[in-house]
Amino acid sequence: MAPPSTTSDVFSAVAEPQRRALVALLAQGERSVNELAEALRVRQPQASKHLRILREVGLVSVRGVGQQRLYRLNGAALKPIHDWVSLYEQHWNEQLDRLDEYLRELQQEEQAHDLPE
Amino acid sequence: MISPNDFETQAPMVTRVFDAPRALVFRAWTEAERLARWWGPKGFSVQVGTLDLRPGGMFHYCQRAPNGAELWGKFVYHEVVAPERLVYTSSFADADGNTVRNPWSQDWPLEILNILTLAEQDGRTTLTLRGGPINAGPAELAMFEAARGSVQQGLNGTLDQLDALLAEASA
Repeated sequence: MAPPSTTSDVFSAVAEPQRRALVALLAQGERSVNELAEALRVRQPQASKHLRILREVGLVSVRGVGQQRLYRLNGAALKPIHDWVSLYEQHWNEQLDRLDEYLRELQQEEQAHDLPE
Repeated sequence: MISPNDFETQAPMVTRVFDAPRALVFRAWTEAERLARWWGPKGFSVQVGTLDLRPGGMFHYCQRAPNGAELWGKFVYHEVVAPERLVYTSSFADADGNTVRNPWSQDWPLEILNILTLAEQDGRTTLTLRGGPINAGPAELAMFEAARGSVQQGLNGTLDQLDALLAEASA
């Protein structure tokens, strides 16, 4: 489902797969828009459009070096997502670990009951 | 309004294989005394207020932390097809069973629809959980999609690297 066109927060900004890919690329270091467009195999205006949205929510910043515009990731802006994803994953992993343990216990109890005299 | 159908074709949020027949897994998920043995964080005790396993019925429970803090939650059942399918909404609750916001996050979806399916093969059970926020505003939906997309598409590796970046940023 497409997020609303006015992307106002970091969550909706990275709901779009190409923008997630940009974030992943920029996590490796500063890049020019041409390098990013090439890596994503998109045209430069398309990459620029995504980068503008990432800038609007504070996820990337840009600086001019000569003719080039270099983009870098502002990692701190991803913290809300980092926290949410960690919590979500942790929650289900723990719950299903506990269920797994409990199911083992249950079956051991059953086997103990089924043993012949 | 989002219906369960909107989630049926999505990639699962969670899958897990258990070395147990599905009837057992289903009972662990739907009987009060069994749920109390595993539902909730480790070290918390779970007390079941009500468990009414039928469409429209509620599982209302309280998780008590080792320090005595209480956290209420509830499921409201939509579909109950033993031993293969369970559809319910989950939310935080108060002691009277009213739906409340996540006490730590105003941005957490108020209600999450969960579609649990259990498939058995050779005595092992594959559990699949699908779902997402319902009655949610665009911000809640976007957040949920973003977080789930991040999990599935391996942004986690990136996020691990971010820990270092974040430490830098806050230093």
